[in-house]
Amino acid sequence: MKRYLLIVLLLIIAFTLPLYADAYIMSVFNTILVFMALGLSWDMMLRTGQLSFGTAGFFGLGAYASVLIVANMGFNPVLSLFIGAAFSGLIAFALGFIVLRLRGIYFAITTLALTHVFSVIIRNISDLTGGASGTQLSTAIFNGNPTKIYYMILIIALFTILLSEIFSRSRIHYAINSIRNDETTAKSSGIDVFKYLLFVFVVTSAIQGLVGAAYAQQYAFVNPESTFSLNFLLLPLAMALVGGIYSTNGPIIGALILGLISEYLKLIMPYGHLVVYGLIIIVVVLFLPQGVYTPIKNKLLKSSIVGGDSNAQT
Amino acid sequence: MSLSLKKTYTIILILAIFMIIVGFWNPNALMNGLQRGSLYALIALPLALVLGILGVLNLAHGEFLTVGFYFIYMLNTRFGMDPLVSIIPTIIFLAILGGIIYYLTVRKVVNKGHLSQLLITFGVSLVLMEVVNIIWTSQARNVYTQYAYASTEIGGFRFGTYELIYILSAVAVLVGLQLFLKKTRLGQATFAVGQNPKGAKIVGINVEYVYLFVFSLAIAILGIVAGTMLPRTAIFPAVGNPFTLKSFALSAMAGLGNLNGILFAGILLGIGESAINYMPNYSGWSDIVFFGVLIIVIIARSYKGAK
Repeated sequence: MKRYLLIVLLLIIAFTLPLYADAYIMSVFNTILVFMALGLSWDMMLRTGQLSFGTAGFFGLGAYASVLIVANMGFNPVLSLFIGAAFSGLIAFALGFIVLRLRGIYFAITTLALTHVFSVIIRNISDLTGGASGTQLSTAIFNGNPTKIYYMILIIALFTILLSEIFSRSRIHYAINSIRNDETTAKSSGIDVFKYLLFVFVVTSAIQGLVGAAYAQQYAFVNPESTFSLNFLLLPLAMALVGGIYSTNGPIIGALILGLISEYLKLIMPYGHLVVYGLIIIVVVLFLPQGVYTPIKNKLLKSSIVGGDSNAQT
Repeated sequence: MSLSLKKTYTIILILAIFMIIVGFWNPNALMNGLQRGSLYALIALPLALVLGILGVLNLAHGEFLTVGFYFIYMLNTRFGMDPLVSIIPTIIFLAILGGIIYYLTVRKVVNKGHLSQLLITFGVSLVLMEVVNIIWTSQARNVYTQYAYASTEIGGFRFGTYELIYILSAVAVLVGLQLFLKKTRLGQATFAVGQNPKGAKIVGINVEYVYLFVFSLAIAILGIVAGTMLPRTAIFPAVGNPFTLKSFALSAMAGLGNLNGILFAGILLGIGESAINYMPNYSGWSDIVFFGVLIIVIIARSYKGAK
């Protein structure tokens, strides 16, 4: 019961934020929500045991698809968000047949190389994409109204959270977990490993495309350097790690912690505040392989009389 | 780890044909590619060594190179030391730095899964890059030396002589590594650990020590790269970053542990990249060579493995 009360409380805070927060606070939360959604989508792929480094690539593809379709064909910006998601999903579907054969470091490195390939291609077909200088839209989505933009990103983040919960509660999570734990066993118990991997890969890439489209529409601008920036891989990854991987709550908590810390560090340390991210990644991998969420939850569960549900990830 | 030349015959054949074609088309592209390719191979060798022996893909490889650059830059600006002379102190410095970082971080994940290994070296790369960024800011810097811009002419074809040092160093490092692995006791132990760490432990090899040594050695080699490259390169905190993935591309193309193959693969891709660079209107596509080849090789290997 307490759990639902907390969720409702958080939702109320999230939805009423524009009433009492100024534009700066909202932009901070926009960034946090964007990275939260990316972190969750990365984690959803990781739950199948595949470490993807392609988050920034599909983010960039969605951003480009959405901006170009508005700039060249005059599409409605809101509609273009879905085009961005669909485009990333489609590319992921086509590439999935090839790259999902790979495992371990080879999958990770190939997805990272794909990110570079996307950015090189986009930089070189300059007739369509504007080349290295990128493409600019005349106006941001909703004419740059910060409240509406905040709600748009909030809804995308909530949608991702919902999807992640569905993934970890419905029948599909048995298949996903068993693929991660032991692929051979999963295969021999009748799970079509490739089908599930492809499904998760396409869905998570589409989310990354959607987030990319929303992010690009918010600033009305894409260029190869900043849109395919590896920050859209590193920061979500660090957030998911800090919060705790293989769960929905982990990346959410991680995004809030790191997002607020980095905003503060940016103010006091203009150069190299990312060093903190590096240190956090190292410390978490070495000492807190489960992130901060699971140990804290276990402690709370032990101290409280109410047992709570025991669907903790092992 | 395989040291035989047999595996590399195909690569050598392709390379020879390719070199002749490019050489006839544009000798500048061939020369430039040869120099550039040796440099890539020189950087990839230590990465392949760590990958082959420890089984760890060191994502901080390029950042260690960056640190080497800045160390030499510092020696140059503070004490006026020549970049080529400062290779010696830089090797010592990088060996110690590599050893410390190995001891603090990588050591603890050598026997764990890929996820931890990739993430931790990734964290190290972020820390190194950002520390450089904090100390020296993101402003580009360079060191000017007269000799780096010397050039010579043979039969009407003019080329820079300084870059030939890349070819020399790549061959020297490769031969040195091979001699070390074959002739010395420690090298043979290293070779054994690379083939089978458990077996090596049983016959009394100190595997922990070999790992530490190999990691230090690999990072130290980057000191040579940094010293030879600096006179011709402007440095900034992210300068080493692209070399990590390129080095992995070469290691994957040559096959795990095939050190000779890396030199040939490096020259092949170097010439490919430089040939595209010399094509009018298409020079922007040259960046795709490495990543494209990397993806194709990895996927081709996966199909071959499945059969």
